[in-house]
Amino acid sequence: MKNKRSIFFLSVGLILLIGSFLLNISLGSVTISPIEIVKGIFTDNWVKGSSKQIILNYRLPKALVAILAGFGLSLSGLQMQTFFRNPLAGPFVLGISSGAGLGVAILMLAGTIFGFSSSSDFNTWAIAFSGTIGASLVLVLVSLVAWRVKDSMTLLIVGLMFGSAVSAIISVLSYYSNAESLKLFTVWSMGSLGGLGWSQVWVLLLIMLVGFLPIIASIKSYNAMLLGESYAKSMGINPSKLRWLMILSTGLLAGSITAFCGPIAFLGIAVPHLSRMIWKTSDHRILFPVSAIIGGILLLLCDSISQLPGYAQTLPINAVTSLVGAPIVISLVLKKNFSKEF
Amino acid sequence: MKKEAVSGKNLSLGYQKGGYKKTILEGLNFSLQSGELTCLLGPNGVGKSTLIKAILGEINPFEGVITIGGKVNSEFSETELAKELAVVLTEPVLPGNMTVAQLVALGRIPHTNWTGKLSQLDRKKVYQALDATKITYLKDERLSEISDGQRQKAMIARALAQDGKVMILDEPTAHLDLVNRYEIMHLLREICVNNEKAILVVTHDLEIALETAHRFWLMNCGTPLIAGLPEDLVISGKLNELIPGKEFHFDLEKGKIQKRKENSAWNISGDKIMAYWIQKALSKNISVTFESQIKITKEPFQLLFEEKIFGSLEGFLNFLESKTR
Repeated sequence: MKNKRSIFFLSVGLILLIGSFLLNISLGSVTISPIEIVKGIFTDNWVKGSSKQIILNYRLPKALVAILAGFGLSLSGLQMQTFFRNPLAGPFVLGISSGAGLGVAILMLAGTIFGFSSSSDFNTWAIAFSGTIGASLVLVLVSLVAWRVKDSMTLLIVGLMFGSAVSAIISVLSYYSNAESLKLFTVWSMGSLGGLGWSQVWVLLLIMLVGFLPIIASIKSYNAMLLGESYAKSMGINPSKLRWLMILSTGLLAGSITAFCGPIAFLGIAVPHLSRMIWKTSDHRILFPVSAIIGGILLLLCDSISQLPGYAQTLPINAVTSLVGAPIVISLVLKKNFSKEF
Repeated sequence: MKKEAVSGKNLSLGYQKGGYKKTILEGLNFSLQSGELTCLLGPNGVGKSTLIKAILGEINPFEGVITIGGKVNSEFSETELAKELAVVLTEPVLPGNMTVAQLVALGRIPHTNWTGKLSQLDRKKVYQALDATKITYLKDERLSEISDGQRQKAMIARALAQDGKVMILDEPTAHLDLVNRYEIMHLLREICVNNEKAILVVTHDLEIALETAHRFWLMNCGTPLIAGLPEDLVISGKLNELIPGKEFHFDLEKGKIQKRKENSAWNISGDKIMAYWIQKALSKNISVTFESQIKITKEPFQLLFEEKIFGSLEGFLNFLESKTR
């Protein structure tokens, strides 16, 4: 009975996801009808040649990135919230996005200050590469700490402190850099789902698939963690092993997304709460797929809004996720007793 | 037939930080029997939690061994240990979204495969646990919507569903009301007898423990663990060792800890039960004793004392207080 209900709702979620996907790729400076797109993709029979160019080279990769980023950030957020038993935890509490930010800041800001790079060097690969290096660096530092401390609350605080310290370094770099590169860095820090080619999409997909594996291996452990670390231990779960899996998974997911798309706020914290409220469950076998789907839908919709249908301009995705998402979450939180349900 | 479920021999327990070793318990021996409810009593800071952590394998003894079902506890894998031993801790963190049945089902985690899917047997065990704790009617309620007592029973049911031979509960009746405390301790005794489990309860509730426990373990600073039949410990006066100082003692007649009082017998005549409570009120509130007789009349309740009549005990106490001043 319960299973049937779950399958039904999951199917509805998947349909909504596909719907938002089609909506997302049909909207933009030129509106192309979804039917035309589906026909075009499956039969290679396009009404206009330019539509094919727009869809295949620009909108399709962007929409796929939106789905991947939505999946990855929500799953990272859910893992963090359950592991730390803290409703305010998100994918970036361990300083991953600040780390990626530092990498990019060093490329863009320090590069122009010290003259080892110029504004023309900033192609997507260079940015993604430096973001990955920065995120990995912070991740390694956090792991070293995680290896030493036994207490997860200490790890949380250390992660936040790393984040602050790294942000401070970025501020110093911004202070000394020239206006042009500062603007570029600011734009990067607002996040962008577009601008990635197919090769980057495949790389992102691959990293994400690897990042999903630790989650699949630890679904049961996350359910046990709901009662806190001591109970989890008493049920045969090894919290330190889970901690490593979590660091690995969130590092891969949130780290790669931030490296490719820039920081995307709000989604990772809010989506797990939305899933809990909508589904009224704390079972991670349901929460993980539901969070992934909701995250994908939300990011697709946010991206559609950021396209400003009918205009050539786009809004930064980071601003849109917060502007659209914050009111939704506030209204849900006020309506339902959210802290009780966490 | 009773079997030894958990035993400790010659244990020396404590914590190690860097090179510094702090020993809390030394020369500790114990044996926990299956089918028995054992209550561990002792003042705060005496090492009760340390002992529990050692049994759970969270800390390693400096010396000695702890065996569970005859096997040394460090030789168990995490999952194996979880199949032998379940706990109810004092931590109150619980997801409010979860239903009682889901919580109890978490107890099956050591038994399920990697996805945590419940088999037919798992489901049966969950229902048995709900049944044994008499909370089947709550199974679809959410944890945020039930009372503290019901939640504690659900936690006990979860531990029961874990289906180990040993259950350890750390102050399961703390901050519960009187009725719930009795209910939970009697429930534990029932579970123990019906399911052949060894249950160790850390508690400070001496009166309820006296009524329900098969066996007491008394821990006190500097002395070895004293184990025995509760009544034996009462008769031999060992219970008094729990109470530091001379001010309080264990009153054999009333079965509770009381303040030591000399010459506090009042001259009261009348209904015996009423006299008992009046005596209680007087010795609690009035520091001196008067010779004159207190006469009790029933219906209407009246107290006759030195030719004055009082309609309530409170009025009488006020009068005595003014008299002593």
